[in-house]
Amino acid sequence: MNNRLLIIEDNEQNLYLMRFLLEKSGFTIMGAEDGRKGIEMALSCKPLAILLDIQLPEMDGYAVAAELKKHQDLDEVPIIAVTSYAMVGDREQILAAGATGYIEKPIDPQTFVDEIIRHLPKDWQSEVA
Amino acid sequence: MISSKSPTCLGRVLFKLSLILLTFFCLGSPSIRADDRVVSVGVYENAPKIFTDASGKPAGLFIDVIEHIAKNENWDLHYVSGTWGESLDRLARGEIDLMPDVAYTAERVKIYDFHKIPVFSSWYQIYAPKDHKVKTILDLNEKRILVLERSVQQEAFVRLSKGFGLNIALISVPDYKTMFEMVAKGEADAAVTNSFYGKMHAKKFGLEDTAVLFEPSDLFYAAPKGDPQQLLATIDRYLADLKKDPQSAYFASLKRWTSEEVRFKLPVWLQVVGSGGLGFLILSLLVSAILKRQVNTRTQELQQENAERRAAQQRFMDIVDFLPDATFVIDQNKQVIAWNQACETLTGVQKADLLGQGNYAYAEPFYGERRPLLIDLLDQPTPEVEARYKHLQRKGDRLYAESFVPGLRTDQGAYLWGIASPLFNQDGRRCGAIQTIRDVTGQKHLEEALRVSEREYRELVMLANSIILRWSPEGRITFLNEFGQQFFGYTATEIIGRHVVGTIVPENESKGRELRPLMEEISADPQKFARSINENIRRNGERVWIDWTNKVVVDEQGKIKEILSIGSDITERKQAEEQIRVLNDTLRRHAESLEQRVAERTAELAAINDEQRTIFESASTGIVLLRNRVIVRCNRKLEEISGYAPGELIGKSTRIWYPNEEAYANGGEAVYLQLAQGETFRREQQMARKDGSPFWVRLSLRAFDKDAPKKGAVGIIEDITDEYEAAEKLRKAMEAAQAADRIKSAFLATMSHELRTPLNSIIGFTGIMLQGLTGPLNPEQHKQMTMVQNSSRHLLALINDVLDISKIEAGQLDLALATFELRPSIEKMVKLIVPLAEQKGIKLQLDVSEDIGSIATDQRRLEQVILNVLSNAVKFTEQGQVHVVCRTENNHYLLSFTDTGIGMQPSEIPNLFQPFHQIDTGLARKREGTGLGLSICRKILDLMGGSIAVASQWGEGSTFTVRLPRQPGDTV
Repeated sequence: MNNRLLIIEDNEQNLYLMRFLLEKSGFTIMGAEDGRKGIEMALSCKPLAILLDIQLPEMDGYAVAAELKKHQDLDEVPIIAVTSYAMVGDREQILAAGATGYIEKPIDPQTFVDEIIRHLPKDWQSEVA
Repeated sequence: MISSKSPTCLGRVLFKLSLILLTFFCLGSPSIRADDRVVSVGVYENAPKIFTDASGKPAGLFIDVIEHIAKNENWDLHYVSGTWGESLDRLARGEIDLMPDVAYTAERVKIYDFHKIPVFSSWYQIYAPKDHKVKTILDLNEKRILVLERSVQQEAFVRLSKGFGLNIALISVPDYKTMFEMVAKGEADAAVTNSFYGKMHAKKFGLEDTAVLFEPSDLFYAAPKGDPQQLLATIDRYLADLKKDPQSAYFASLKRWTSEEVRFKLPVWLQVVGSGGLGFLILSLLVSAILKRQVNTRTQELQQENAERRAAQQRFMDIVDFLPDATFVIDQNKQVIAWNQACETLTGVQKADLLGQGNYAYAEPFYGERRPLLIDLLDQPTPEVEARYKHLQRKGDRLYAESFVPGLRTDQGAYLWGIASPLFNQDGRRCGAIQTIRDVTGQKHLEEALRVSEREYRELVMLANSIILRWSPEGRITFLNEFGQQFFGYTATEIIGRHVVGTIVPENESKGRELRPLMEEISADPQKFARSINENIRRNGERVWIDWTNKVVVDEQGKIKEILSIGSDITERKQAEEQIRVLNDTLRRHAESLEQRVAERTAELAAINDEQRTIFESASTGIVLLRNRVIVRCNRKLEEISGYAPGELIGKSTRIWYPNEEAYANGGEAVYLQLAQGETFRREQQMARKDGSPFWVRLSLRAFDKDAPKKGAVGIIEDITDEYEAAEKLRKAMEAAQAADRIKSAFLATMSHELRTPLNSIIGFTGIMLQGLTGPLNPEQHKQMTMVQNSSRHLLALINDVLDISKIEAGQLDLALATFELRPSIEKMVKLIVPLAEQKGIKLQLDVSEDIGSIATDQRRLEQVILNVLSNAVKFTEQGQVHVVCRTENNHYLLSFTDTGIGMQPSEIPNLFQPFHQIDTGLARKREGTGLGLSICRKILDLMGGSIAVASQWGEGSTFTVRLPRQPGDTV
């Protein structure tokens, strides 16, 4: 059973925080510090979902999401933006770029994992349940 | 009797004879002529000039002449008969070559050609029945007169009669014969014909010529215009020859056709009759000689017999002659046998001219014509004759009458008084009559003068428009004329004998003057009061003003007998005078006030003019009057701002203000188009000073009169160089500020992100530890970790609020408008706060009315506001309740949040919605929130077009009221 989640996050502490919470819940976490690496890993290991930071060096989250959407085999992989961009319009812009979910930082450790699971494919959700 | 008839009989015989001769003449000619030239000649009936004879051949004067010419010229004459009118039409159309007997007129010469030598001269004459009274043309007034249609005499006669102002019924008839027939039958009173025709035919119809003759005219042959056959010159040539020779065919024809010639020129007759007639003549002379001898014998016998009678008659005549009145005597045959000297004096006609004359000859000296007189009425009373006399009276067998005879006294006329009486001889048989005539003209004139004078006097006194009054020195009225009676309203019997005062003179005038003393003064000395004007009174009480002229009437002893007063009513004049006086006063007052107003207005205008000149000169803006883009006038300020000396600009083109031709051209057309529509043209533009340096002006131009562009335009020119430079600085500052703002926004966005990133770790790991995911915490650890968590959450809230405030103030907070139902939104927010309220034991009440519907605004932001206000209410309330009410007011929703919390001091309220303001409760209590919430709420509501207000009582609680438009832009 695929339980791999790809987290594209340049901030080491934030990556650690999310990895900690999600691994506690039994997910296998792959981390990438930039967009380019993230795309490579997504294509090679086919994750269950991709958690994407927007503020990234070199290639930002919007570009990464757009690039990921180009690959057919990643079609069904949800992209969940986890970002501290909280200005008006940020959310809409991210969803328009191809993300399926949007979680604002700072995250709430109590609800974070549930929120991620809510964005996963239905069959997976029922299995967990 | 026989001899008087003979000329007519002879004329008739001769006429017939001439016809026979003419017929021979005509029959003989055709065989002689060669067929050289065919000339067609019009013929109409106007004997003897031209006509058709009994045998159907054309005849007459004109035919004779043209036949003579034709014979010599070898013309083949063809006659075309018709009426005069038809013939003229034919000639005009060229269907005939010649028309005889055409009078030359200016009208005709336009249509026809004429030769030069007239054939005959003719004139027109009026013919009337034998007993006609036509002496002059004036006698034709109101008569029916016949004329030949389309003839020369028609026009001539019309002209003639109009000239005399006559009213004549003119009837056009196609030929002379019909005309004479009509007059003979009495269908008309007279006819106009030419003298030829009249002479020849009048008698036949029982008509005779009158003294009215006119329009002698020359008669010609007329040819169609242009004389295509060239006949006219030939005719002239012949006429010249014919008229020279008394023995020519021309004169022969005249003799033949003119009845006058025929009547008296017996030699012609003798020539024609020949020797056969001579024997008859000798025989008749013999018979008459025998008869004459018998008569002479009888005459001698009678002379003897009458000798004695004549002597007696002579004595009678002497008596008659002696009579002072004009007297004449007639015998039984109405022949004058006496005409006395007085008659001769009266009429100017001598006895010798009248004695023995009969047939009313005695009337001629009086009336210029023979007609019956008074003397003739003795035997034969005729109403017509009687009507000529006035006061005709018959006493016994005598007649008395008066008459007026205009012809006497050298045409001044005379009034005659006549007596006519029959005369009888010894046997008592009528032997004649006598009439005496007295000229009473002098008496008549005297009588008339007397009558006129009397009438004038009567009119003067009785009918005069003056009051004539006679009164005694005692004041009693003795006479008042009819006008006076009517004027005052009394009859003579009512007024005579009464005192003037109390009847026609009031005791006092309207203005108070006493009249009784005046009357006494007048009666005492009328000469002194020859004229007096005083008020009088009518019977009906009406006051009148009368201008009196007083005269004294004295008796033989020189004592005053009466006063004669003649008065004219001058009431209207008096009233008019009064009116004029009042009008004059009014006019004078008007004129004075008008003058005063004019003076005031002039002063005002002068002041205004001064003011305007002062304004013009001292105005802080330039003022210019332009005409065709040339400076007509300008104030000093304009000279100053454009760098010119005083007066230097006048007469210059506005071109001087433009840096180049193109700018000048651009400055023109659009401006003048706008001015022509009566609009004010405004713009800011750069102009050039005298030294060429540019400066900015605000220009406004307006035409004096849009319909009269020539009057020019007035311009206000304001130097705005400083203003312009200031604006430029401001613009640059604005640009800089805007750039700074953009930097600030970007900084905020980055700040927000950068702050959140570390917060993410702090909040995240704190949470993990508090959850015990990293192993159990002891109570102190748990307590402290909770403090970290709360502080970091507060920090996050601060970051969020600061971000919101910054965005709003930078105008970057954009509302996401959507239409949604308001009720669920409110309920959702209340539900969120329920746990907090329950925790504090506060009752939360929600009251949303039924009519709350949808709203168009930013849902998330609205909910943010509701949540903020609601959580404040709960937060600051320790016990009691929070009441949320939602109502509709017009196109707005009103949301009120009422709590039973601590409330506010009035001094705190104004600062309530300022950022970073939190009420200092004075109580040691934990403060929650950032102090930015209400500030943000107010700013959000401002953006939404809504508002927020608060009412509070210290210690009792507060009510926050949010007002929201249903649609953006809906106003209260």
